[in-house]
Amino acid sequence: MKGFMKGLIGAATMAAVGFTGAASADNNTIKFALLQDFTAVYTFVTDEYNQGQRDYLRLINEEGGIHGHTFEAIVRDTGNEPQRGIEGYNRARREGAVLVDFLSTPVSRAAVTRVLEDEVVMITVLHGRGDASDGQTFPFVFPMMATYWSQAALLLDYIDQERGGLEGKRIAHVYIDSPFGREPVPVMREIAERKGFEVRTFAYPSPGNEQSATWSDVRRFRPDFVVLWGAGGGQAVSVREAIRNGIPQENILSVVWMAETDARTIGTELATGIKRFEAVATGTDYPVMQRLMEKVIEPGHGAGDPANVGTTYYNIGVASMAVAVEGARIALEEFGPPLTGDKLRQGMEMIENFDLDGMMPPITLTPEDHQGGGYGRVSTWNGEAWEAVTDWFNAYQDIVWEEIEKDAAGFREGR
Amino acid sequence: MFYRQSGVHHTRYQTARRLWPLPTDQGIVWLLLALAVAAPLYLSDLYLTSYLLPWLIWSAAALSLTLLMGIAGQLHFGFAAVMAIGAYTSIHLTRAGVPFELALIGAGLMAAGIGCIFGAAALRVKGLYLVMATLAMQYLVDWTIINVPAISGGAQATLQTPDVRFLFVPLRGDAMLYYGALLWAVIVTLLVLNIKRTSFGRALVAVRDKDFAASVIGVNPFKFKLLAFFASSFLGGVSGAVLAFCYYQAVTPEQFGFNVSIQLVAMVLVGGLGSVIGAYLGAGFVLLVPIILTNLVAGAAAAGWLSVSSNLLAHIPLMVYGGLIIGFILFEPLGLAKIYDNLRKYFLVWPFRHTQS
Repeated sequence: MKGFMKGLIGAATMAAVGFTGAASADNNTIKFALLQDFTAVYTFVTDEYNQGQRDYLRLINEEGGIHGHTFEAIVRDTGNEPQRGIEGYNRARREGAVLVDFLSTPVSRAAVTRVLEDEVVMITVLHGRGDASDGQTFPFVFPMMATYWSQAALLLDYIDQERGGLEGKRIAHVYIDSPFGREPVPVMREIAERKGFEVRTFAYPSPGNEQSATWSDVRRFRPDFVVLWGAGGGQAVSVREAIRNGIPQENILSVVWMAETDARTIGTELATGIKRFEAVATGTDYPVMQRLMEKVIEPGHGAGDPANVGTTYYNIGVASMAVAVEGARIALEEFGPPLTGDKLRQGMEMIENFDLDGMMPPITLTPEDHQGGGYGRVSTWNGEAWEAVTDWFNAYQDIVWEEIEKDAAGFREGR
Repeated sequence: MFYRQSGVHHTRYQTARRLWPLPTDQGIVWLLLALAVAAPLYLSDLYLTSYLLPWLIWSAAALSLTLLMGIAGQLHFGFAAVMAIGAYTSIHLTRAGVPFELALIGAGLMAAGIGCIFGAAALRVKGLYLVMATLAMQYLVDWTIINVPAISGGAQATLQTPDVRFLFVPLRGDAMLYYGALLWAVIVTLLVLNIKRTSFGRALVAVRDKDFAASVIGVNPFKFKLLAFFASSFLGGVSGAVLAFCYYQAVTPEQFGFNVSIQLVAMVLVGGLGSVIGAYLGAGFVLLVPIILTNLVAGAAAAGWLSVSSNLLAHIPLMVYGGLIIGFILFEPLGLAKIYDNLRKYFLVWPFRHTQS
């Protein structure tokens, strides 16, 4: 115990010194805490995603803010460690943040009870608990885009509608051996029962640099389609292994975590034809992206490398902040300033058919449904870019919601 | 001068064998304890819940590990798995209606039982081979938790901790959670301090220094290695349960991954093998320095002193942190505890230069 407090006082002073310059509270600034993992596991997405988020907030500020309010992003690295995320969250909350985005499943899960207690909105875009779509149980948590369950359902429905039906097909679910990888399995089994096809699961060990043993099993199964459920470096390895084991590119489908970088790692030619779930459109051919280019990127106010603008994860970042800002706009109009976490929640629950001029599917959030309908589309790599092959649609939401209800009930009982 | 030794005469064995024979040391310990107990009064909830609370719990975990690695000399690279067993056991027990106090003991026993099975490997292998055996434990436990939904809690793989009472006091609110952690840290600290001066502790040290030499002088290495694994895993399991209930309030498998095991080993090594104060300093260093550096760098960037890309900005704290570790190892290989010890010895004889030891 000796020296224990000495260290503490030192630590506290250091932290206090580090922060005097940063905190400047005024009521017309709305603070969003983007406490994400820039250095550990989610590095494949965080840089571009966070850049898109900050550029969008900058755009809103450049355009004069919303009803006289501007936005400030509190950006910190959490290294995917729950204790660092919780520290950053507590600090941001004291600085007045009304929204927090961790982009990390372990950190978000550790923060769920805290945000529910503190009434701070937490957005869990494409990560976190899928059952948080149940707004009654998780009033302050917003998955806001299709959960993994909805993504799996949508990919299967795509096979059913456009690729010659599901009946009698053999589908291999190849996943990283983690809770994330197995998350869609119950939904897939349920759909398999309903539509009469066979789904078998194949796990590869984390982090997925080495998957050859798994894929020789997959080959023996002789699947008609392969659904990849991984993220980061393992994705490119999966696609290469699939092709090496004689699976045509057209029959490889992936979860949302497949981007330009992965296609380049696989080889732009070799990757041609693979399919992925898409939550937000890619590219810069949308009004909001044009505004971004004109007012933020070209004047040199961008938060990062301009080459990233329009990439998959950048656009997801833009869309996430667009929905949050829209929620803030509604909240300010309905309830007036100052914006609190609870007002922001209610504002977001009033969002109706918001589609960012076609860049994302029309989402509608309600006090019951925080997922926004579970929409998405399928896109394919055409050798240069990801190109949509379907319209925005959703699928099997009855099965998805059964799963959501089941897990949300578990959460309620566990408390 | 600062540590006045004159006038301290030990006339009985009890006083000579006290944990802190010098009045100054006793004063420091009492002062720190008083400060720790009064912390909720003068620390804001940010520093209480985000700094002091996790620091205490991780210090208790590092102490449990230092009992095994520092005192008994058995390397363990899967200690996060031990904590995971404790955390999951305690949650499942409390959910089944077992009182929290018993659930904590159950968590310790379960962790100790499974820890001993893998510790049994220690009876045959040493050094790097033992590292491999304990690594296997880490991965096997991880795999089991992820692949058995009954343990991990279904598709979401997250278990919320239920509301519990500890000795009739509901474990709710920042202050109560903090006192729960403080109580456990104090218990483990006193236990490890006392183990070091008992025959059990001396036997562990004998085994650490040379196991066949220990058996020549009548210490049974088989028994004491197993006991070391048992005691350390028991404490680690309870620390895991305290971590789950007092800090995370929800457990997921990622919270007890391999990287956490490495962090624990780093805490023990940076702090100083086998040292109690080293466990506190090491846990503080590994846990808090990255947070403080991140905030310092972010503050400097916000003040306009650092205009670099956000990617580099996120990595600067890592570089500084790495540099600090290398620096400490270069200048004081025996860890932070040794730095404290040097300081203390300097003041022990100040204004003279030479110490006796």
